[in-house]
Amino acid sequence: MAYREKTAWLTLVCMIVAYVIYFSLVLSGQVGPRLLDIVWTFGIVASIQAVVVIIGHVVLAARSDADERARPDERDRAIARRGGSAGYYVLLVGTIVVGVVMPFSDPAPKIVNTALLAIVLAETLRHVLIVTSYRRGWHG
Amino acid sequence: MAKPLPGRVVNQIRLLRFMASEMTQAELGERIGMTRQTVAAIEAGKYSPTLEAAFRIAQVFGKPLDEVFQWEG
Repeated sequence: MAYREKTAWLTLVCMIVAYVIYFSLVLSGQVGPRLLDIVWTFGIVASIQAVVVIIGHVVLAARSDADERARPDERDRAIARRGGSAGYYVLLVGTIVVGVVMPFSDPAPKIVNTALLAIVLAETLRHVLIVTSYRRGWHG
Repeated sequence: MAKPLPGRVVNQIRLLRFMASEMTQAELGERIGMTRQTVAAIEAGKYSPTLEAAFRIAQVFGKPLDEVFQWEG
Protein backbone atom coordinates (compact mmCIF):
# COMPACT_ATOMS: atom_id res chain seq x y z
CA MET A 1 0.00 0.00 0.00
CA ALA A 2 1.33 3.44 -0.98
CA TYR A 3 2.45 5.77 1.81
CA ARG A 4 -0.10 8.40 0.80
CA GLU A 5 -2.85 5.80 0.75
CA LYS A 6 -1.92 4.77 4.28
CA THR A 7 -2.00 8.38 5.51
CA ALA A 8 -5.36 8.91 3.79
CA TRP A 9 -6.73 5.80 5.54
CA LEU A 10 -5.37 7.01 8.87
CA THR A 11 -6.95 10.45 8.47
CA LEU A 12 -10.26 8.97 7.30
CA VAL A 13 -10.57 6.46 10.14
CA CYS A 14 -9.58 9.02 12.80
CA MET A 15 -12.03 11.53 11.38
CA ILE A 16 -14.92 9.07 11.30
CA VAL A 17 -14.26 7.91 14.87
CA ALA A 18 -13.81 11.46 16.21
CA TYR A 19 -16.88 12.98 14.61
CA VAL A 20 -19.17 10.02 15.22
CA ILE A 21 -18.32 10.58 18.88
CA TYR A 22 -18.86 14.35 18.63
CA PHE A 23 -22.18 14.20 16.80
CA SER A 24 -23.39 11.38 19.09
CA LEU A 25 -22.75 13.72 22.02
CA VAL A 26 -24.61 16.51 20.23
CA LEU A 27 -27.60 14.32 19.34
CA SER A 28 -27.83 12.86 22.85
CA GLY A 29 -28.00 16.39 24.26
CA GLN A 30 -24.71 16.21 26.16
CA VAL A 31 -23.34 19.32 24.49
CA GLY A 32 -24.83 22.53 25.83
CA PRO A 33 -26.61 25.07 23.60
CA ARG A 34 -24.09 27.88 24.16
CA LEU A 35 -21.44 28.61 21.56
CA LEU A 36 -18.74 28.07 24.19
CA ASP A 37 -20.09 24.54 24.94
CA ILE A 38 -19.99 23.64 21.25
CA VAL A 39 -16.55 25.14 20.63
CA TRP A 40 -15.16 23.52 23.78
CA THR A 41 -16.44 20.00 22.95
CA PHE A 42 -15.57 20.26 19.27
CA GLY A 43 -12.16 21.67 20.18
CA ILE A 44 -11.36 18.75 22.47
CA VAL A 45 -12.48 16.15 19.91
CA ALA A 46 -10.66 17.89 17.04
CA SER A 47 -7.49 18.29 19.12
CA ILE A 48 -7.41 14.61 20.12
CA GLN A 49 -8.02 13.65 16.49
CA ALA A 50 -5.22 15.95 15.31
CA VAL A 51 -2.76 14.52 17.85
CA VAL A 52 -3.60 10.91 16.87
CA VAL A 53 -3.27 11.77 13.16
CA ILE A 54 0.08 13.51 13.70
CA ILE A 55 1.46 10.58 15.73
CA GLY A 56 0.15 8.17 13.09
CA HIS A 57 1.83 10.17 10.31
CA VAL A 58 5.12 10.11 12.21
CA VAL A 59 4.88 6.33 12.74
CA LEU A 60 3.94 5.70 9.09
CA ALA A 61 6.76 7.96 7.87
CA ALA A 62 9.28 6.15 10.09
CA ARG A 63 8.13 2.76 8.77
CA SER A 64 8.19 3.64 5.07
CA ASP A 65 11.04 4.07 2.59
CA ALA A 66 12.30 7.50 1.61
CA ASP A 67 11.16 6.71 -1.95
CA GLU A 68 7.57 6.32 -0.75
CA ARG A 69 7.71 9.62 1.09
CA ALA A 70 9.03 11.43 -1.97
CA ARG A 71 7.21 14.50 -3.24
CA PRO A 72 3.76 13.75 -4.64
CA ASP A 73 3.92 12.85 -8.31
CA GLU A 74 1.29 13.44 -11.00
CA ARG A 75 -0.86 10.49 -9.86
CA ASP A 76 -0.89 11.69 -6.25
CA ARG A 77 -1.80 15.18 -7.41
CA ALA A 78 -4.55 13.89 -9.75
CA ILE A 79 -6.06 11.82 -6.94
CA ALA A 80 -5.86 14.74 -4.51
CA ARG A 81 -7.60 16.99 -7.08
CA ARG A 82 -10.37 14.45 -7.55
CA GLY A 83 -11.00 14.25 -3.81
CA GLY A 84 -10.81 18.01 -3.35
CA SER A 85 -13.21 18.70 -6.16
CA ALA A 86 -15.86 16.27 -4.84
CA GLY A 87 -15.46 17.62 -1.30
CA TYR A 88 -15.93 21.17 -2.63
CA TYR A 89 -19.44 20.38 -3.89
CA VAL A 90 -20.48 18.93 -0.54
CA LEU A 91 -19.11 22.03 1.18
CA LEU A 92 -20.94 24.24 -1.32
CA VAL A 93 -24.30 22.58 -0.57
CA GLY A 94 -23.55 22.76 3.16
CA THR A 95 -22.73 26.47 2.90
CA ILE A 96 -26.00 27.19 1.09
CA VAL A 97 -28.00 25.24 3.68
CA VAL A 98 -26.21 26.81 6.64
CA GLY A 99 -25.87 30.35 5.34
CA VAL A 100 -28.96 30.83 3.22
CA VAL A 101 -31.69 28.46 4.45
CA MET A 102 -31.16 27.75 8.15
CA PRO A 103 -30.80 31.33 9.49
CA PHE A 104 -34.51 31.85 8.75
CA SER A 105 -35.74 28.72 10.50
CA ASP A 106 -33.25 27.21 12.95
CA PRO A 107 -31.57 28.15 16.24
CA ALA A 108 -27.90 29.12 16.34
CA PRO A 109 -26.53 25.88 17.90
CA LYS A 110 -28.14 23.82 15.14
CA ILE A 111 -26.67 26.11 12.49
CA VAL A 112 -23.20 25.85 14.03
CA ASN A 113 -23.36 22.04 14.23
CA THR A 114 -24.72 21.76 10.70
CA ALA A 115 -21.81 23.88 9.47
CA LEU A 116 -19.38 21.56 11.30
CA LEU A 117 -21.18 18.54 9.84
CA ALA A 118 -20.84 19.96 6.32
CA ILE A 119 -17.08 20.37 6.82
CA VAL A 120 -16.76 16.85 8.23
CA LEU A 121 -18.82 15.34 5.37
CA ALA A 122 -16.79 17.20 2.75
CA GLU A 123 -13.52 16.03 4.28
CA THR A 124 -14.82 12.47 4.68
CA LEU A 125 -15.89 12.31 1.03
CA ARG A 126 -12.52 13.74 -0.02
CA HIS A 127 -10.63 11.03 1.85
CA VAL A 128 -13.00 8.25 0.73
CA LEU A 129 -12.33 9.23 -2.89
CA ILE A 130 -8.60 9.37 -2.25
CA VAL A 131 -8.44 5.86 -0.77
CA THR A 132 -10.74 4.37 -3.42
CA SER A 133 -8.71 6.03 -6.17
CA TYR A 134 -5.52 4.48 -4.80
CA ARG A 135 -7.26 1.10 -4.32
CA ARG A 136 -9.21 0.76 -7.55
CA GLY A 137 -7.20 3.04 -9.79
CA TRP A 138 -7.89 6.41 -11.30
CA HIS A 139 -7.61 7.41 -14.92
CA GLY A 140 -8.10 11.16 -14.56
CA MET B 1 -21.10 15.92 -20.35
CA ALA B 2 -19.52 13.68 -22.99
CA LYS B 3 -19.72 9.98 -22.17
CA PRO B 4 -16.30 8.29 -22.12
CA LEU B 5 -15.79 5.87 -25.00
CA PRO B 6 -15.26 2.23 -24.08
CA GLY B 7 -11.69 0.99 -24.11
CA ARG B 8 -8.53 1.32 -22.11
CA VAL B 9 -4.86 2.04 -22.34
CA VAL B 10 -2.61 -1.02 -22.09
CA ASN B 11 1.15 -0.96 -21.91
CA GLN B 12 4.28 -3.06 -22.33
CA ILE B 13 6.25 -1.52 -19.48
CA ARG B 14 6.72 -4.80 -17.59
CA LEU B 15 8.18 -6.45 -20.71
CA LEU B 16 10.33 -3.44 -21.55
CA ARG B 17 11.72 -3.32 -18.00
CA PHE B 18 12.57 -7.02 -18.28
CA MET B 19 14.37 -6.39 -21.57
CA ALA B 20 16.22 -3.44 -20.04
CA SER B 21 18.30 -5.67 -17.75
CA GLU B 22 15.42 -6.20 -15.30
CA MET B 23 15.12 -2.53 -14.51
CA THR B 24 13.18 -2.16 -11.27
CA GLN B 25 10.01 -0.12 -10.90
CA ALA B 26 11.88 2.14 -8.49
CA GLU B 27 14.65 2.77 -11.04
CA LEU B 28 12.15 3.59 -13.76
CA GLY B 29 10.24 5.80 -11.34
CA GLU B 30 13.40 7.68 -10.45
CA ARG B 31 14.22 8.31 -14.11
CA ILE B 32 10.79 9.69 -14.94
CA GLY B 33 10.15 11.53 -11.68
CA MET B 34 7.49 9.23 -10.28
CA THR B 35 7.17 7.01 -7.24
CA ARG B 36 7.53 3.23 -7.46
CA GLN B 37 3.84 2.91 -6.53
CA THR B 38 2.80 5.03 -9.49
CA VAL B 39 4.93 2.95 -11.88
CA ALA B 40 3.29 -0.16 -10.40
CA ALA B 41 -0.16 1.39 -10.87
CA ILE B 42 0.61 2.26 -14.51
CA GLU B 43 1.85 -1.29 -15.19
CA ALA B 44 -1.27 -2.75 -13.58
CA GLY B 45 -3.52 -0.51 -15.67
CA LYS B 46 -4.76 1.31 -12.58
CA TYR B 47 -3.52 4.69 -13.73
CA SER B 48 -3.15 6.22 -17.17
CA PRO B 49 -0.17 8.59 -17.14
CA THR B 50 -0.22 12.04 -18.68
CA LEU B 51 1.05 12.36 -22.23
CA GLU B 52 4.27 13.93 -20.94
CA ALA B 53 4.92 11.06 -18.55
CA ALA B 54 4.13 8.55 -21.29
CA PHE B 55 6.73 10.20 -23.56
CA ARG B 56 9.28 10.17 -20.74
CA ILE B 57 8.68 6.43 -20.19
CA ALA B 58 9.05 5.72 -23.93
CA GLN B 59 12.23 7.81 -23.98
CA VAL B 60 13.77 5.77 -21.14
CA PHE B 61 13.31 2.58 -23.19
CA GLY B 62 14.27 4.26 -26.47
CA LYS B 63 10.98 3.21 -28.06
CA PRO B 64 8.27 5.13 -29.91
CA LEU B 65 5.21 5.86 -27.81
CA ASP B 66 2.96 3.36 -29.58
CA GLU B 67 5.32 0.50 -28.76
CA VAL B 68 4.93 1.25 -25.08
CA PHE B 69 1.26 2.21 -24.88
CA GLN B 70 -1.63 0.93 -26.95
CA TRP B 71 -5.34 1.66 -27.03
CA GLU B 72 -7.44 -1.44 -26.53
CA GLY B 73 -10.94 -0.56 -27.70
